[in-house]
Amino acid sequence: MKIRIDKPACVGNARCAAVSAELFPLDDDGYIAVSEIAVPPGMEQLARRGARACPERIIVIEEDVAKS
Amino acid sequence: MTATLSPAVARPAHVPEAAVYDFDMFADPAYVADPHARVLDLLGKAPGVFWTPRNGGHWMLLSHEAIFNAARDVETFSSELMPLDKVEQMQKMMPRHVPLPLPICVDPPAHMKYRGPLNRVFGPKAINDLKDSIRTLAGELVDAIRPQGACDFMSAVAEPLPVQVFLKMLGLPVARMDDYRALVRAHLSDPTPNPMDSVKKLWRIVDTIKDVLEDRRANPQDDIISLLWQLDIDGKPTTMDDMENYCVVLFVAGLDTVMNGMGHGIRHLAQHPELQQELRANPALIGDATEELLRRYTFTVPPRIIGKDTVFAGLEMKRGERAMLFLPAADLDPKAFSHAERFDLKRENKTHIAFNAGPHRCLGSHLARVELQIVYEEMLKRLPLFRLDPAHPPSFHCGHVVGVDTLHLLWNP
Repeated sequence: MKIRIDKPACVGNARCAAVSAELFPLDDDGYIAVSEIAVPPGMEQLARRGARACPERIIVIEEDVAKS
Repeated sequence: MTATLSPAVARPAHVPEAAVYDFDMFADPAYVADPHARVLDLLGKAPGVFWTPRNGGHWMLLSHEAIFNAARDVETFSSELMPLDKVEQMQKMMPRHVPLPLPICVDPPAHMKYRGPLNRVFGPKAINDLKDSIRTLAGELVDAIRPQGACDFMSAVAEPLPVQVFLKMLGLPVARMDDYRALVRAHLSDPTPNPMDSVKKLWRIVDTIKDVLEDRRANPQDDIISLLWQLDIDGKPTTMDDMENYCVVLFVAGLDTVMNGMGHGIRHLAQHPELQQELRANPALIGDATEELLRRYTFTVPPRIIGKDTVFAGLEMKRGERAMLFLPAADLDPKAFSHAERFDLKRENKTHIAFNAGPHRCLGSHLARVELQIVYEEMLKRLPLFRLDPAHPPSFHCGHVVGVDTLHLLWNP
């Protein structure tokens, strides 16, 4: 699973980091520090919740498709 | 507070009759009597975007979708209520510098030039470091009222706490607390003053702070004023005018807002003993409760000016017309939140826009969230079950801030 973030559109609500500071790193100003995050196994649920928490709706989850 | 309706102005030709709804955002009697009940009522009756003939005539954006789009389209929905070149002309005619609420009144890209330096100071990390001292202050205020069995929550807790936090952050002398509280009260006393009165109020704020500003320029300490002096704004060192601008926006935005959020939240708790019980039994839920209270009782109405002729939500809007982002309605919009009128701790979608959306997202949101949560935690921890005083029902004022004037509580000490 991957998280993609439209980083320039971040306005610093920091709600994603309130769900998981580990998964969603912020810069010193409280804006998202990265635009792509590989979700470690077991953190998928947190990733989805973090994406939903964004008032700007700029966090998109890409589910893994190739699963057998 | 009794308010008189402003006179209705004529509908401009480009506004269709179907888009007109008569609502006075300062004085509508039902709104001032019980603001959020009227917001719910309005959502059922008025169009999602409408034009009201009151207060000179202006657009009102109610629906979550409309506000979300408008808040992010800063070219069409501009924050430069007065264009910057006009501001400069006005400054030249004034006997002294008129402090500007930067960065609130500037659009991107210039916006970031003024906001950037403040982001770090008000970022989640910096605010987190303040938690302990905010908790101590809140605890002291609540302990002081506990033996009385009654209080006006607004004057006993909601007003003094943010003032004390503000003094601490800015490094202003706590010994002059009473001066600052008087300033806040003067500032709040007349929500619709004439422009020159507003300017005089800003000068009073600056006059109260100025000696400390001068002092920190020469003797920097570990506080925000010293930090602001050390900034470069657009490659130029900070000037006294810059400092006046910053201090005024921090003062006005920091004190006149969060206290009202506390009032709305504590009123809801006082009306819902079962919720108090649930949160006392499980204080870990107070964080979620804080978010849901912000959604249920969103309380600011940021103004915008139409920056260019446009068609928005099927309506023709002309450059120079005013539009209000009616955030309290956005967060109660049934299209965005199921059973929006319900306070629901377990609500799946709590993603409200109480702090607005887009680049002007409330700079103080992180501080406000911490202050709100701590106030709820300390009130629930230190007081037994509290309820509204039936002899003194709460009173409100409405406008760009939907505020609580008085909130009388009772408990068994």
